[in-house]
Amino acid sequence: MKNRKIMLSIIIGLIVVSIYIIITKPTKLGLDLIGGSRLVLEAQKTPQISKITPDMMDSLQFAIEKRINAIGVAETVVQRAGENRLIVEIPSISDPQKAKEYLGETASLEFKEQKIGLNKQPVWVSTGLSGKDVKKATVGSDPTTGEWKVDIEFTGEGAKKFGKLTQTLVGKPMAIFFNGELQSAPVIQEPILGGRAQITGGSGGFQFEEAKKMVDLVNAGALPVPAEIIEENSIGPTLGLDSIQKSKLAGLVGLALVMLFMIAYYRVPGIIADVALVLYSIFAFAVFKIIPVTLTLAGIAGFILSIGMAVDANILIFERTKEELRAGRTLFTAINAGFDRAFTSIFDSNMTTIITCTILYMLGTSIIKGFALTLVIGVVISMFTAITVTKTFMHLVFGSGQLKHPELFGLKKEQISNSSSFEDTNPRKAKLGVLD
Amino acid sequence: MTSPLLRDKNIIDVVKFKWLWIGISLVLIIPGIVAMIYSTVIYHSPMKLGIDFTGGTLLQYGFEKQLTTQDITTVRDDFKKVGIENPVIQIENADAFLKKQAASAKTNNQKAANIKSVISIRTRFLSSEKSNNEINKVNDVLRSSFGSFVPLQVSAIGPTLGTELFKNAIFALLLAFAAIVAYLAFRFQLDYGMFALIALFHDALFVCGMFSIFGLLFGTEIDSLFITAVLTVVGFSVHDTIVVFDRIRENSRFLAKKMSFNDVVNASVNQTLARSINTSLTVLITLLALFFLGGVTTRDFVLAMILGIFIGTYSSIFNASTLLAMWRSKGAKPTPKAA
Repeated sequence: MKNRKIMLSIIIGLIVVSIYIIITKPTKLGLDLIGGSRLVLEAQKTPQISKITPDMMDSLQFAIEKRINAIGVAETVVQRAGENRLIVEIPSISDPQKAKEYLGETASLEFKEQKIGLNKQPVWVSTGLSGKDVKKATVGSDPTTGEWKVDIEFTGEGAKKFGKLTQTLVGKPMAIFFNGELQSAPVIQEPILGGRAQITGGSGGFQFEEAKKMVDLVNAGALPVPAEIIEENSIGPTLGLDSIQKSKLAGLVGLALVMLFMIAYYRVPGIIADVALVLYSIFAFAVFKIIPVTLTLAGIAGFILSIGMAVDANILIFERTKEELRAGRTLFTAINAGFDRAFTSIFDSNMTTIITCTILYMLGTSIIKGFALTLVIGVVISMFTAITVTKTFMHLVFGSGQLKHPELFGLKKEQISNSSSFEDTNPRKAKLGVLD
Repeated sequence: MTSPLLRDKNIIDVVKFKWLWIGISLVLIIPGIVAMIYSTVIYHSPMKLGIDFTGGTLLQYGFEKQLTTQDITTVRDDFKKVGIENPVIQIENADAFLKKQAASAKTNNQKAANIKSVISIRTRFLSSEKSNNEINKVNDVLRSSFGSFVPLQVSAIGPTLGTELFKNAIFALLLAFAAIVAYLAFRFQLDYGMFALIALFHDALFVCGMFSIFGLLFGTEIDSLFITAVLTVVGFSVHDTIVVFDRIRENSRFLAKKMSFNDVVNASVNQTLARSINTSLTVLITLLALFFLGGVTTRDFVLAMILGIFIGTYSSIFNASTLLAMWRSKGAKPTPKAA
């Protein structure tokens, strides 16, 4: 009895803590529910770069983070995945295609001079001056033509290089390449020593958007290695909203139907199971918030499935308790025996679920991981609630002594009196579960 | 001799009708196997693989205009002009979507309230390199043909990534199988593990077969979520089988001297029958709620699980244990029960 009081106070304590956590901590919702983009970038090897090193990935991650920030969306996440991949998550973005343009581009800004090539054709040759020498780029407009242009301010070192270069190139063209594309190739009139330059968009001029993008990319810095978008998942906010409402409804309806079923079939123990189920949901939800688990659509499916499994533990226990009662056991021993006997089944069967989920979590993609994580948390908590909550409440409600009202368990009186004679004749065997 | 109590409680004599259960299993599985073979011959894979495994881009849009198949034919030519050949374009059932949207429009989503048609476009993996953003090209084509739209989702998987995901998925599946058998062999005995494996293989085969049929009939594709569903089904099937096996293990400890193994199996299956059915019912209730009320994105996933839970319950009651009984009675004294 004392144990049961301790157990009850532990349960009440857990409820209070869980509710506190649920109220105070925010729910982390996945991009498929709030809408947003999830992109996977893979660093690409080039003839110059034969191996992607962790250092390269670090600077790639840094550059990508800077670019994402330039888009101006809050709560973006850039994560490393594997040896050569980055996962970029941008929540509630209205135009994911625009964001993509910012990410994949190498953003190499190069200044080139013209030399005569082998076949007497003029070719552009690198001068050694590049985007790395740029301190800052800004969008400006040409006062005479009104066209958009990009103003560049070099670093100290860059200004020296640029000055020297323009000195040697007086009367000759100097080309500016962005991402391998020729932007403009003005003829140098005189040496430029002030450390400033401008890029105009050639004959057509820049669109504002174009100039703005170039400025953002140059300021964020070039990517140390080219990166390619190999996976994209973008969910519009409309679909996200739709999914979240549907999942909520499905979850609640599913839960309600299961609860009704339990009461209809198991009567009073069914009510106890329902209480355990509600507590189970509260505990599980609190754990999701503590970890924190990002709830995705698949994650919610995992959670709803775990409700089914949580009920299973209760069903196993009740079926077993009923059998013990049929065998004429007293309430107290029947309940205890029901729990003990059912426990091996519950444990072994849940272990296999835990094994599969662990494998899924290790090898799966992010969708699968979400599912596995919520299911495994659900299964572990369900074992806990079935054994502690259900058992404590069963004892509290039914107490000990003979079962006087078998209908509380959905049993008939004659089923019990019939079998209790077996216990009278053979109590030791009956205790071991022998039913003959 | 079976005790009177046990015989009274036996609702079905599972061991006696073992050939019937095996027959039903064959009827359930063979159409799927035929479909898988047919599909392999025609499409080179037993099930229709989605972009997760083949690589590709899937775009989904909601339009305010009611679109017809005629519209789709014209837009197909426009896609060809921008270099996107042979896209698979589907107009989806906008009714269910529309209703839901009308409801959600009350909250704040005015724009979404007008969606009349939803179209899905599946193509090869669309490049998003530099200025050549092919998804933007698709957007432009659609905008100029049908007016404004609400982008619902974009999902793109690079071609190399697709094969990688597929390999990972198959590897995960095999690893899970092996781990489960190892666990059962450890907790029970090797032959228990073997028959649980046969039962779960039976279940996985049924679900895959059904999806192969769906693929042929309705173009249903399998994705990573499908693999998850199969794995969950496998977990659940074993879960069910274990409950029965656990009972057999317990009963044979006490009753082995009085009853034949066949009778022990019969008694155990009948004792756990109520539990097996009730548990499956509760899980099916939650799954059905998800199926009818949940999001479109997880519908196939839930369907795979519904089929799996159904077959898993069947195999744990009628297959795993009767096969175990057949196997054990062959080794021990022969019982004259075979039909």
